[in-house]
Amino acid sequence: MIEITYDVFARKNRGDQLSHVGYVDALDDETAKVHAWTTYSEENWFEMCVVQRSQIIPVNRDDGPFVKARGGPE
Amino acid sequence: MSPFTEDELKKNVHEGYIVESPEEMTEGYRKALVVQLTVQADTELMSAPAYWMAARYAPSTNTQVSAHAIIQDELAHANIGYRLLEDIGESKQHLVYGRQPHEFKHPYGFDQPLDNWAELVVANGFFDRAGICLLSDVFQNTSYGPLKRALVKVDMEETFHLRHGEVWMRRLTKAGGEAKDLVQRAVDWMFPMTIEWFGLPDALKRHSGQLGYKLKALTNDQLRQTWMASTVPLCEQLGLNAPAHWDEQRGEYVLEYPFPCQYDVADKRWAFDAGEISWDDVFKRWKGRGPMNEIYVESIQRSRGDVGRWLNGKVA
Repeated sequence: MIEITYDVFARKNRGDQLSHVGYVDALDDETAKVHAWTTYSEENWFEMCVVQRSQIIPVNRDDGPFVKARGGPE
Repeated sequence: MSPFTEDELKKNVHEGYIVESPEEMTEGYRKALVVQLTVQADTELMSAPAYWMAARYAPSTNTQVSAHAIIQDELAHANIGYRLLEDIGESKQHLVYGRQPHEFKHPYGFDQPLDNWAELVVANGFFDRAGICLLSDVFQNTSYGPLKRALVKVDMEETFHLRHGEVWMRRLTKAGGEAKDLVQRAVDWMFPMTIEWFGLPDALKRHSGQLGYKLKALTNDQLRQTWMASTVPLCEQLGLNAPAHWDEQRGEYVLEYPFPCQYDVADKRWAFDAGEISWDDVFKRWKGRGPMNEIYVESIQRSRGDVGRWLNGKVA
């Protein structure tokens, strides 16, 4: 199966920072939403979003840990 | 290529340096982390079929929901472990679906059948407690940043599993009679099973890469003591016999049986009377895997190929 990696961002309360909470593999965006909501069910999140990992664009450096840990910039 | 030598990295992490990406890792660090994460992820993964097959003994629909909530958590924790492994160059596809049952690295305890509701809740009370002891140490001390952050969720949820186990152990023992007997019977085989889970005694253990690279801080014996410090008082409080007690003079918990010792798989009994065996014998038993190993792994892997074939091409 060809799965896409998504990073999951969430915040517990209005006013909190939207933080990186984890990652899921899914066949498409719709499935990724379901996987993220059920996989990271430790909080009753105020807001949760997913983004395809390949869509994350480094801004100030290409060698930052977040980008490097994910196989570097595209 | 790591900017550090092995010795430099070991020194740095003990001074508080946090590793964030694979290219900061030396080969030794990466190898030690792969071993640690593989054991962690495999343990979470194999707890799922063990708990899932036991959840059918749940006494009500609501209880079954709680049992399945625990299974959901365990699979999510496994996902975290395998994703972290993928980020350092290992293949999740291979680790979950490409290995033979005997190649998984989970403890022998999760190769055993859980045959009634009492066994499931004692597993939550004992095995998940062992998980908390191991992972709390990692959470507090690991030098690998992505793992530390991921464990916030794991720690929170394992505490719920433990509470589930303890609440039900209390309820069943309070009822007395057959219910209490079943809990005692579960304690009789699961207590030594968990003690063994923590591995070789420190006196026999060779140098640990995980301690050297500050992937954890406590030794096997220290973790065993941590586990007993909460488990033995719990058993005493519930009127259950646990084969260990606090020794005033030594200032630690001591076992009341030869350790390690033989285990009769079919009968689920430890042969305390047969005396102490060697750790080589234990490793041989572990390597041979337990009675549910193939069944549990097959239950995880079986549908991957079929569904993959149905979907290929449509989603590419």
